[in-house]
Amino acid sequence: MAKNQSIQKGRGAVIKKNFLRNWQLYLFMMPVFLYFFIFHYIPMYGVQIAFKDYFATLGIWGSEWVGFEHFERFFSSYYFWRLLKNTIILNLYMLVLFPLPIILALAFNELRNGAFKKWTQTLTYAPHFISVVVVVGMLVAFLDPNTGLINHLLRALGMDTIPFLTSPDWFRHIFVWSGQWQTLGWSTIIYLAALAGVNPELHEAAKVDGATRMQRITRINIPSIMPTIVILFILNIGNFMQIGFEKVLLMQNTLNSETSDVIQTFVYETGILEGQYSFAAAVGLFESAINIVLLITVNQIARKVSENSLW
Amino acid sequence: MLKKWFFFIATLVFVSALYACSGGDDGDSKEGEAAGGDNVNATGFPIVEEELELTIFANKPAQNEGNDWNDILIWNTYRDLTNINVNWNSVSPDALEENRNLALGSGDLPDAFFLAELSNTDLLRYGSQGAFLPLNDLIDEYAPNLKALMENDPTIEKAITFPDGNIYSMPSLIEDDFLSLRLSARPWVNEDWLNELDMDIPETTGDFYEYLKAVKELDPVGNGDTIPYGGTDIAELVQWLSGSFGVMNHGASNTNLDLDPNDDSKVRYYATADEYREMLEYIHMLYEEGLIDQSIFTIEWGQFLANASDNLYGSMIFYDPIELFGEEIGSQYNSLAALEGPDGHQSYNKLSSSVWTPDNLVITSENPNPAATVRWMDHFYGDEGAELYYMGVEGETFEIEDGEAVYSDHILNPEGDMTFEQAIAQDLTWLGSISGIIKADYFQGGETAPQSMEAAEKIEPQVIDEVWPRFTFTEEENRILQSTGEDINKYVEEMRDKFITGDEDLDNWDSYIQTIEQMGMEELQEVYQAAYDRYQSN
Repeated sequence: MAKNQSIQKGRGAVIKKNFLRNWQLYLFMMPVFLYFFIFHYIPMYGVQIAFKDYFATLGIWGSEWVGFEHFERFFSSYYFWRLLKNTIILNLYMLVLFPLPIILALAFNELRNGAFKKWTQTLTYAPHFISVVVVVGMLVAFLDPNTGLINHLLRALGMDTIPFLTSPDWFRHIFVWSGQWQTLGWSTIIYLAALAGVNPELHEAAKVDGATRMQRITRINIPSIMPTIVILFILNIGNFMQIGFEKVLLMQNTLNSETSDVIQTFVYETGILEGQYSFAAAVGLFESAINIVLLITVNQIARKVSENSLW
Repeated sequence: MLKKWFFFIATLVFVSALYACSGGDDGDSKEGEAAGGDNVNATGFPIVEEELELTIFANKPAQNEGNDWNDILIWNTYRDLTNINVNWNSVSPDALEENRNLALGSGDLPDAFFLAELSNTDLLRYGSQGAFLPLNDLIDEYAPNLKALMENDPTIEKAITFPDGNIYSMPSLIEDDFLSLRLSARPWVNEDWLNELDMDIPETTGDFYEYLKAVKELDPVGNGDTIPYGGTDIAELVQWLSGSFGVMNHGASNTNLDLDPNDDSKVRYYATADEYREMLEYIHMLYEEGLIDQSIFTIEWGQFLANASDNLYGSMIFYDPIELFGEEIGSQYNSLAALEGPDGHQSYNKLSSSVWTPDNLVITSENPNPAATVRWMDHFYGDEGAELYYMGVEGETFEIEDGEAVYSDHILNPEGDMTFEQAIAQDLTWLGSISGIIKADYFQGGETAPQSMEAAEKIEPQVIDEVWPRFTFTEEENRILQSTGEDINKYVEEMRDKFITGDEDLDNWDSYIQTIEQMGMEELQEVYQAAYDRYQSN
């Protein structure tokens, strides 16, 4: 700190000098900077419609201010608690499965470069490239009460069929596990990259000392990729309330909406379909507020506990 | 030197980006001010002397997928006749609400909206803010055909007049006694199976239950794959049966609303009525015993058609079977009328008002010539216009045989594996897009096919006398409808389906009623009552 202050005077000059010396680097940064500024910061002025009664012909600035009216309406709405509960439970469910790709990556890492390793990796990546619409189509094809494969099987075994698609109890499991099936392999990539960076000398030394495979995984591999795990966890939290909303919408029907009705589908319904822009903006803003609070909290905790954090 | 250039360019990019972003707001000043009657002829054709270009936002239904409205016989003919060149901005129904609301939300308005499924809430909202023009005077002056129809049938004016006294749209209409069209999907049973079971056409809810049960036991498809009742949507069944249990006694245009049978000055939210409960009990019984397709809540249209083509259904509510499933399977079906319910109710309530939809054409503030646009639309409320829209051009798409308009041979018997509908869509656009007025004399489609006409004749004596159009509401009432109303209707729909499947026990009826009351039923009831009182006194 003290050192910093002593050079305070020359600071402006230093920055200028740095800038001029490295202007190529700043030029490289420019497109990304512009992208964020134009597409993520400028549109923020539109957030004000959450506090206004937005009307298209009056424009964003011209519409009338109504304060927190839309928020009050949302909080006192019959569906508020259901939406909040469903959104949180669905996300927690997905968060609980956060370690799965780590385990898979550790397992892949133990396979030594055979054809088998390449095959299994490719197989687990493949579903990532299927569009959500197709995945839901596949779910319907497998789970339909009359024509679905699974229910055919259940019938053949003499059991009762299960209305997977219309049951609120099944919705979360189907949603989360089909999502895992789709993304599990893909999510291992970043961990595998981190594992590739683990110093082989550590392993050799451990082998000499007679460490078992399991011990080497828990004592060397996991601690080495811990920073990556923490950062990815924090980033995951940053997206906490934003579940793949298209998929929820595609899987939703009146019978399972008790568990499938989430904030994002609600925003789509009221905002885009019913044209209540201001109300939908207020609901969306509420969701973002929760996100940012969670992100900051988790980041703070991570910094205290593991000394790894986003900032 | 290079550095300076870099700063200059970076600043330039930055500033122009900023400018581009903020520029949208002040761009749309009033260009439509000049809207006047200068360039319009009061009667006859052409409508305008100088060619007029209009951009119209339209819903383009799936049946019209393959054609281009900007270059098709009907619109080319009408352009040459009127000298008004419509530039169609057509959107498929899946993306309709989204695109329309984005157009409205961004203020980038077309000259008019054509069958864009604008709700009465939207009409009033945008109308009272000046984005949609009030058409009262224009209709008086430039729409003689529509005016004549309105004088003849006061329902039309009631359906399109808002509490502020303004009319913001021109409606699409069905000739009052063209019943077959107002019925849309109607009930059918498989008569071959009835004969096999030695049963008569069901006439009571009890008969219907017995028939479905017998079909399930008979299992003509084999392997337990027979589906006694199937449909694309459970609501069709609910609406049809409502006539057997005495609810929805004024049609389906106003969600869950009908007239109180004990006091005809009051409206009733019938989803809390005992009769409604009784109906749900009956449907639940059917579902519980596997007589209703277990996938009816999730089934897609395509899957339904595939099942029907495999002849899996014992009964259904759908459109003309022969037209859709072919002669072999379609001809097995015979139509049903209304069933007599346990308390003796027997009426057919599932039909639309003669006002098919109020929002056939909505004119926006951007329109350069509203008077000409009104005249453009009004033609379709007369005989000549109806003939042009639904039959096309004589000698090209239809012929007159014994005084009746009949489609030409190349449409009725298209070449190759083209269907009737595909042949129509090559020249005409009315499929799924009901515009102006449909008259039985100038219409030839699935609804006028012999099987469907026969069904309509059978149903006719049971049809309810009065079918309400959608009511209109004030701004304040709309606020309540959008919050409390939407919440309650959503809850009622969810609970209806749960009661039917048994996910929710009908013993919990009392708590269902209680929840609805807590959600603000009383307030909603007042809104509906006020709207009804206005409707009666208008």
